[in-house]
Amino acid sequence: MATVIGRLLGLAFLLCFGTGLYSHFLQQPLPWMRFPTRPTGLYQWTQGTHIIAGIACFPLLLAKLYVVFPQLFQYPPVKSFANFLERASIALFVGASLVEITIGLLNTYQWYPFPFSFKQVHFALAFVIIGSLLVHIGVKLPVIAAHWRATPAPGPDERHPVDTGEDTAEDAPADGDDGQGLPRTRGLTGRLLAYIDATPRMAPRTSRRGFLTTVALGVAAVVGLTAGQTVAPLDGANVFGPRKKGVGPQGVPVNRTSAQAKVATAALAADWVLTVAHGGTERSFSRDELAALPQTDVDLPIACVEGWSQMASWRGVRLRDLVDQVGASPDADFRIISLEQRGGFKQTEMGREYVRDSLTLVALELNGGILDLEHGYPARMIAPGRPGVLQTKWLSRIEAIDA
Amino acid sequence: MMTTTPAVSQRMRAARVALIGLGVLGLAWGAYVLVDTVAVQRLPGVALWIGAAIVLHDAVLSPLVFGLGVLTRRAGHRLAGGIIVTVQAAIVLGSLLSLIVVPAIIAQSLGAKNPTVLPLDYALNLGVAWLVLAAGSIAVSVWFYARTRRANQRPSLFQS
Repeated sequence: MATVIGRLLGLAFLLCFGTGLYSHFLQQPLPWMRFPTRPTGLYQWTQGTHIIAGIACFPLLLAKLYVVFPQLFQYPPVKSFANFLERASIALFVGASLVEITIGLLNTYQWYPFPFSFKQVHFALAFVIIGSLLVHIGVKLPVIAAHWRATPAPGPDERHPVDTGEDTAEDAPADGDDGQGLPRTRGLTGRLLAYIDATPRMAPRTSRRGFLTTVALGVAAVVGLTAGQTVAPLDGANVFGPRKKGVGPQGVPVNRTSAQAKVATAALAADWVLTVAHGGTERSFSRDELAALPQTDVDLPIACVEGWSQMASWRGVRLRDLVDQVGASPDADFRIISLEQRGGFKQTEMGREYVRDSLTLVALELNGGILDLEHGYPARMIAPGRPGVLQTKWLSRIEAIDA
Repeated sequence: MMTTTPAVSQRMRAARVALIGLGVLGLAWGAYVLVDTVAVQRLPGVALWIGAAIVLHDAVLSPLVFGLGVLTRRAGHRLAGGIIVTVQAAIVLGSLLSLIVVPAIIAQSLGAKNPTVLPLDYALNLGVAWLVLAAGSIAVSVWFYARTRRANQRPSLFQS
């Protein structure tokens, strides 16, 4: 049983780890890294998977801990030095896993009651968890291998809260089996123990089936009732998701508002221009000048690191047409600078694969109307397969890096 | 456990050494990233949360679940096992949803960063979820009860 749940939990952890690393490197790429721009909803799917698998970890991790809980009380508590290290790594694994999924969940609510930075700790703990998971799998490998090979046969002295075998048909009811070698405890404790011992037994097979059904229903419930914020067909069932599709200005949710970014004055100024620079060449475009250039329509999702995503129709100027006006070379990567004065993403970098992509726009319109101030008026970036934080709003300057 | 495994094959041994080695590397890298990127005065907070998570689970949540199991079995010891499991499952599912949704309700009451964050009525939806679970578990229990009664009323094939 521990292996059955553990397998699913391990899978969920690996999905979270892989998609988390992908998201991390999209935002902080190593110099040599290039990323696929198709399918256009790639990040929507990887990050949606990250959040969905993370939520599924709640029932799976709790179920796993429920199954192995009696092992917490093994006697003697520590058998050897190796055993001590193993138990310590499990304690770290349990604690770090619980913290990881909890702060991840709270981050999707944009609520930060913990005394440390979310991003760095969430990233570091991921390695701690995967590391201690590998140690744990290494230690338990014989048990896991035996489970893959044949029907599990729990040892006679192995105790599980969930019955694992077909045997254990109790011949005597538990009531009143005193004098079995154990001294009777007196007083309140004794009465409590007697009360617990007198608990009627149930057919073990029902219990096992009931446990697995409950875990399956738990995963289905937490995923099914929240995943609609990412997966459009489940939108109707989205009653607990932190975001709702179609809720927001122009039908698109917002992460960072113009008020938070303190850009309203600069963005609404009459003399706003977008400056495009490559090497020594610089050109500035007013919004009317941008609107006079050839316009392209694309359908691309906004996909947030917090897991929600929203399909939208954008209209604007192809970025590659714009940078070609200042004679950009096809190998140039660009720095995209916002009007924002503060914030981790006031300037971002865009690799050449996105700059040259025909779907990458400097967007002026959204869903048939002028871009709302909350969505980045006067102009914003929209590119395929990138996280929302890199779809820079309130554009100010686009310049080639090292050119 | 390491010591009680009989006849560990050579390949198994190699695989275990590799897994544990990789795991220790991962742990070390995680610790390095933590110390490297998080301000030193924040680290006790991380340790506190990890420790508190273990204590909360082992000393609060688990005893609660255990007590709940004993209580439902005691309370329903004349009922068919299926009914007890159904009721337990409904309580577990409701608690699980509450565990995930109550923080959303708190975050919402503290004030969301903008109107598109946490836009739903989560308290109402959670209440409805509990009602649906109650109704569902009652329906399943009635079905179990009727089935058990039918089975008990049928003349037994094995009695003579």
